[in-house]
Amino acid sequence: MWDSFSLGLLLVFFSALITFIALIREKDDLHKLLLLLLLQILLIGIIALIGTDLAEAMVLAVLLVGIAEIIALTQIFVNKEGITCKRVRSLDIEVITLGKAPVILSVLLICYGIVLSGLAGGIIAGLGIVFFFMCNGYREPFAIIEIAAGLSFAIWIISFLVFMFLPQYWLFALMGAATGILFQVLAKLALAGTMWEGYHE
Amino acid sequence: MSSLGGLSLYNLGFGDEIIYFTPFTISLFIIALIFTIFVVISKPGRQIVISSGKDASVTKDFSDSELRFHRFLAIGCGLASIGAAVTGDLFNFSLFCALVGIINVGTFAIIKEQHVKDASFQYGLVVFAATLPLFAGAAVALAVSGSLSILELSKSVLTPVPVIAKLLLLLGVAGEGMAPFYAAKTDLFRSGGSSYLLICSLSSFLIFIRAIEIILVI
Repeated sequence: MWDSFSLGLLLVFFSALITFIALIREKDDLHKLLLLLLLQILLIGIIALIGTDLAEAMVLAVLLVGIAEIIALTQIFVNKEGITCKRVRSLDIEVITLGKAPVILSVLLICYGIVLSGLAGGIIAGLGIVFFFMCNGYREPFAIIEIAAGLSFAIWIISFLVFMFLPQYWLFALMGAATGILFQVLAKLALAGTMWEGYHE
Repeated sequence: MSSLGGLSLYNLGFGDEIIYFTPFTISLFIIALIFTIFVVISKPGRQIVISSGKDASVTKDFSDSELRFHRFLAIGCGLASIGAAVTGDLFNFSLFCALVGIINVGTFAIIKEQHVKDASFQYGLVVFAATLPLFAGAAVALAVSGSLSILELSKSVLTPVPVIAKLLLLLGVAGEGMAPFYAAKTDLFRSGGSSYLLICSLSSFLIFIRAIEIILVI
């Protein structure tokens, strides 16, 4: 009865209870948002406790739902409070803007991300790109990156269809899915990290 | 299989994901489809604000892009509720419910009045908090019985899903489908573009009914 799953579940639910009580007592809207992020981590904990391959697939989907909701809620919060963005193009720190460190670091991150491939690789490579843009400023046409993200998403979906209907070509589908998700996450992260209203066309 | 929804008429298999059509899910599917088509072809009404004490009234107008985005969100909400109505997988059902919740928050937040923005933020908080019980219910059901397919769970060969999982699922769906409450609270059905807001109520209603069916079957 009291195996590790039940014990872990009990722990997570107890933590969730504490978070919900904190959520009820909290009055500030921004703090409520942060407490909800805590709930998101607990939710991923519940699913990770199952500990099978299926659970791993579920964690990704739940992570995605959480990210979508937090982006939507933050946008509504910014809109509601009437916060306007400060026009900052890049980090104005002398060491970063003059030195070569950002280039080296971001190239390292991107190479490591491409070696990893898949979702984790996409996140690491995307962080490299965001870091580079943060340090050097950017005037790139972002519409091209958006098109690339859309095309890689299409590759990802086509790979899934191949998995379902033509299972004998699984290697091709595996490669397609890994590359597709890599570029998709990379492009989306770079966009989310650098996109501001009216900054680019 | 004889279950609450009637005899299974047709199973559409995508790998191990099975979309099944019983008379129950078919009727939900048709209702959602009809109302989505209504939303696509309808022209939104305009809100007329009458200022008290004076003989004056103001008609609030929309920009074209705003209307297009509103319609896009409404169509997305309709498609998500269609998905929730026919899916045969507990986890996919949770995902579609979460999608309905997010899209409803977006539908609210598009209206540029301060009290509606505040209400949509509160509704967003409820939706975000409700994802915890929603997915926790599906996860506990998977952990106990070893399957997420509603068809398999209803055959009563597997270990039955515990009551706590069902309660969590119900709590989650109730949180995701809170849209009509907030819409009524902010008097949103009178505001402009209210024909698109119809789909908020309808999607909540559909996911409630489907959730009740799932909870009674598994």
